[in-house]
Amino acid sequence: MAIQSENRPVLSLQGVCKAFGGIIVAEDISFDVSSCEMMGLIGPNGAGKTSLLNMISGIYSMDKGRIMFGDVDVSKAPAHKRARLGLARTFQAPRFLQRSNIRDNLLLGTDLADQYTFFQSFIGKKSKDFEEELSELMEIAGFTFDWDDLIAAFPYGRLKILEIVRAMLSKPRILLIDEPAAGLNDIEIGHAVALLKLATEKRGMGVVLIEHKMDMVMNNCHNIVVLNFGKVIAKGQPEMISKNKDVIEAYLGRGYDVAN
Amino acid sequence: MKKKKLVKFLVYLVFVLALILIVPSVTTGYSIMIVDVALLYFIAALGLSVMLGIGGQMTFAAVSFMGVGAFTSAQLSKYAHIPTSLSIILGILVAALFAFLIGLVLLRLKGPFFAFSTISLVQIMSNIFLNYEPLTGGARGIQSIPKLNLGVFSPNNLFGWFYLLIAVAIICGLIVERVRQTHLGRALSSVRDNEIAAMSLGVDVFKTKVVAFTIAGALAGLSGALYAHMSQYISQSLFTFNTSLTFIMMVMLGGVNSTVGTFFGALLVTMLPEWLRPLKQYLMIIYGVGIIFLMVYMPMGLAGVARSILTKCQRKKQQKGAEAANGYSK
Ligand SMILES: Nc1ncnc2c1ncn2[C@@H]1O[C@H](COP(=O)(O)OP(=O)(O)OP(=O)(O)O)[C@@H](O)[C@H]1O
Ligand SMILES: [Mg+2]
Repeated sequence: MAIQSENRPVLSLQGVCKAFGGIIVAEDISFDVSSCEMMGLIGPNGAGKTSLLNMISGIYSMDKGRIMFGDVDVSKAPAHKRARLGLARTFQAPRFLQRSNIRDNLLLGTDLADQYTFFQSFIGKKSKDFEEELSELMEIAGFTFDWDDLIAAFPYGRLKILEIVRAMLSKPRILLIDEPAAGLNDIEIGHAVALLKLATEKRGMGVVLIEHKMDMVMNNCHNIVVLNFGKVIAKGQPEMISKNKDVIEAYLGRGYDVAN
Repeated sequence: MKKKKLVKFLVYLVFVLALILIVPSVTTGYSIMIVDVALLYFIAALGLSVMLGIGGQMTFAAVSFMGVGAFTSAQLSKYAHIPTSLSIILGILVAALFAFLIGLVLLRLKGPFFAFSTISLVQIMSNIFLNYEPLTGGARGIQSIPKLNLGVFSPNNLFGWFYLLIAVAIICGLIVERVRQTHLGRALSSVRDNEIAAMSLGVDVFKTKVVAFTIAGALAGLSGALYAHMSQYISQSLFTFNTSLTFIMMVMLGGVNSTVGTFFGALLVTMLPEWLRPLKQYLMIIYGVGIIFLMVYMPMGLAGVARSILTKCQRKKQQKGAEAANGYSK
């Protein structure tokens, strides 16, 4: 059953600006993401994509502008509050608890979904609801693990996929994904794409996908925002973007052939 | 999986029973006191295990909270004539509240800066303990503190205390183990390993640290309050930076992230000076060299060594199993 896409956006950026000293990483950036939508965020290296994700999730502050999450203005909210409202993310280089096992790492995602206080969690019993969800996700992820495996023993590609799984376990409304395909082989990329499709099509999440692999973006995203030097140079559906002159010059000009 | 848990439980049960049965019969009045003190220190060191082991926050402050708990309970029971069972609870609460307030301030600092600030706290508090006579009796300390009376059970000698302390230590150990396995433990581990990941997973980093610091304060306060009624005499000299270093040695030797390890660490570090009495002049040198070797060769302490031996054995067993299943052997 596909969930009907709402008209009102879940995530809305309005005139976001940010500079690090002389480097402008965001200049008047505005766009919306609705539920069930997969939005691609592309641009050359250093365009400011990761910085923008950091501003959305509250790790960087903005100089100017507004970020709305549903009806809530989260422009000044700390990162953990935004996460608790339903904003999950992955990182360009996966961030895990290196000294903990898989169990603790994944349960952090479910903790976020449960939203128990420390005390409730201390006296209560952890609900097992997530186990079904996890096994469904791992089936799509294409590998299995032992709960007691140490995170440090996992290969990079699996960590990147596992980070998507962890983010999805927190049942977010918006999922921010930073370069999932980097370091993955083609089969693993397929699994990652399948997970993201499940997120949008079955779970109704809105996804913001940063990726350099053009075919992955072009084939899966409903809309694309192109950044260059912190500015939005194009915005629209994949077909339009791949024909856009500015984009081709800034980015796709490096040899991407629309025809294949 | 279930079987593994059962085996673990049985091992601990046998160990505790053996401890209860054997220790009193092989100890004398003096050596049972050493064991009792080791158990008290274990309870305080557990707080450090929460902060440093689970949360990765180095703190020296436990000894100050221990002092607050001890002086509070001693004062209330001796001069306000409050029953000892209640004064101990108040001692814990005051120590926890104090830790909470101090945590609100000091935990704004990060990493080494926080650690240094707790060193200053210990120095300030030990000066207050020494010089604020109305509260602490100054250099003379507080004498003839009332004996502990719990109604159902009142330890009237150090052997009685041993049984009581074993029970309290087990309860505190179980609480810490529970913390480790619930949201607070995971949140703390995420703060330790990756603050940015923690934040983006909805963990309030500051609040998590403050809660852990408060729990550490409560455990230290309990330890101090019990100490006051056990020895019936306390003074500032117990709550100095040296004691703080002892806690750190216990946790480091036993295994910074292991409750059982901390127990053995507490036992060993308290007993060592007794065993090494003939070498008294060289004790600090031995300690120093020992710690350096510890950090180089077993950074996760005894528990870390035990764990790596266990996984090696398991791997061998698995290998053997796999070879047998494949129908060949080396
Ligand atoms: N914390 C920071 N302090 C100073 N400069 C920063 C900081 N974070 C990012 N930058 C700068 O901002 C610019 C944009 O960086 P960002 O990581 O957002 O690019 P990106 O689009 O994600 O690039 P890539 O595709 O290589 O990941 C870069 O020039 C980077 O050096
Ligand atoms: Mg980036």
